[in-house]
Amino acid sequence: MYSALILKPFFCVLIMNMFLKGWAKKTALWVALLLSVAQIIFAIFPETYHQSSFIYVISNFFKFDLAADNITRVLLLCIGIVFFVTIILAKQMIKDDDRRFNFINLLLIIVSGLNGVVLVTDIFSLYVFLEIVAVGSFVLIAFNKEMLALEGAFKYIILSSVASIMMLTAIALLLLVSGSTSFSAISASLLYSTYNPLIMIAMITFICGLFIKAGLMPFHGWLPDAYTAAPGPVSVLLAGVVTKTVGVYTLMRIVISVFGLYLPIQKILMFVGASSIIFAALAALGQTDFKRMLSFSSISQVGYIVLGLGCGTTLGIAGALFHLFNHTIFKSLLFVNAATVEAQAGTRDMQKLGGLSAKMPITGFSSVLASLSAAGIPPLAGFWSKLIIVIALWLSGNYIYAIIAVMGSVLTLAYFLSLQRMVFFGKLREDLMNIKEGGLGFMIPTVLLAVITVGAGLAFPYLLNTFILPVSSIFGG
Amino acid sequence: MYAESLQLLWPFLVFVLMLLVIGIYCLFATLNLIRALIGVEILIKAVTLLLIVVGYITDHVALTQALVITLIVIEAVVMAVSVGVVLGIHTHKNSLDIRNIRNMKG
Repeated sequence: MYSALILKPFFCVLIMNMFLKGWAKKTALWVALLLSVAQIIFAIFPETYHQSSFIYVISNFFKFDLAADNITRVLLLCIGIVFFVTIILAKQMIKDDDRRFNFINLLLIIVSGLNGVVLVTDIFSLYVFLEIVAVGSFVLIAFNKEMLALEGAFKYIILSSVASIMMLTAIALLLLVSGSTSFSAISASLLYSTYNPLIMIAMITFICGLFIKAGLMPFHGWLPDAYTAAPGPVSVLLAGVVTKTVGVYTLMRIVISVFGLYLPIQKILMFVGASSIIFAALAALGQTDFKRMLSFSSISQVGYIVLGLGCGTTLGIAGALFHLFNHTIFKSLLFVNAATVEAQAGTRDMQKLGGLSAKMPITGFSSVLASLSAAGIPPLAGFWSKLIIVIALWLSGNYIYAIIAVMGSVLTLAYFLSLQRMVFFGKLREDLMNIKEGGLGFMIPTVLLAVITVGAGLAFPYLLNTFILPVSSIFGG
Repeated sequence: MYAESLQLLWPFLVFVLMLLVIGIYCLFATLNLIRALIGVEILIKAVTLLLIVVGYITDHVALTQALVITLIVIEAVVMAVSVGVVLGIHTHKNSLDIRNIRNMKG
């Protein structure tokens, strides 16, 4: 039944391009919107799903080995929400019918790939879906064919290819050891020979490849450029789900279900996570471009997720997963705000902006909410996930990393306050006097994501018990 | 593991390592966008060869054949897209120098 999530977007693209091109140019947007809503509903209530016979026949034809657990459901929900937001933003920001049709097609291919990454149980299929997502992202980053966008896309292409090559090397070595590519077979054969040097090389190569894809600190070169140069909706998609799914979720899946949490791997993860938190936050302090600051903030927040994962306890992984969800929501919200500001004021340079809250109250207020959530201020969702990660680190005896996590939070508050002060607070600049609030296409995503940020914070006890803590069940099976 | 098959493995492994070193050197040394892509290609070739050798040694020839063919298809797609991006850069700057794409820093 899960194969429908991969096949439906894919076949939509095929059918829209082959037979119905004239008709589809007008309706592609609504088809994609329908698919995104279906995915959100499916992720929240998996039991409501009814399989149509057409998909059943097709999915028998494509033999996928798919599995879903609680982590998968959270990720499917994130993908659904960001997919929805991106489509609405695209309707607002891309006016030309042809270009919008191309955009929707690429978006559907990426979503199909992302669902595949989340669901597969085979290390080579994982690689294939990662490449599908990567190729789609290359094209989308360079979508406007501006010089900076091409530059960001090229850097992403080179680093992403190097990451894929590292992963393939690891896959070949694992194949040599275990003779199979499925997760369960590899993890079974690793149980007998953990400290074999070949396996150690394979694990470290694979994990370094994923660090590049996730854009963690020593390997982050491509990430700020690609996020900054990409068009507005694409930045939301990349920051919201693409790097989270491709890098972080895959890291979680591989470490938990294939390699197992060994001490050396945990140490690497925690070190990389902590250094990302601190150095990316320091780099963000010095930025003057709205989107570039958000990208460095994104690296810093992913550091928290990896830190929680590296802690290795159930509580740590639950915190990491919750922070992944929260980060998807508040970082998408901030990038939507950035797109709104760019569209209305015509610039992203924070020194040329100021006092926008007076004229753009919804954007200003929601960005304050998202910033406070990112910095970990109590009633909002980001506070709870950071709290869980810090508690997990403290309980597992990693006191230094717990202190680093708290300090990183203070730095987060510092750079977000400077962002708010420069862009939204203070006196309105004179050249921005006739600026207006963005259109409906900007406001629907903003309000939706802001409501989720506040709602997830207030409904935290319910979410913790139903979604997040059952994560521990993955250790049993 | 397979002692005698590992004996068989290592000459191939030396060649794979050589290709990897050449590819990495190419990536670091070149100042041309197309040559950078060629470096990536050499790296992918090295890994493809490694996969084939592994399949040969562990007697999973059918599995690795499927993997390698998939890999070649993916590689072609990635290269088509990357050359498109390089073409875009060329139309803007009228040169393939890698120093043109150092506008964003910090």
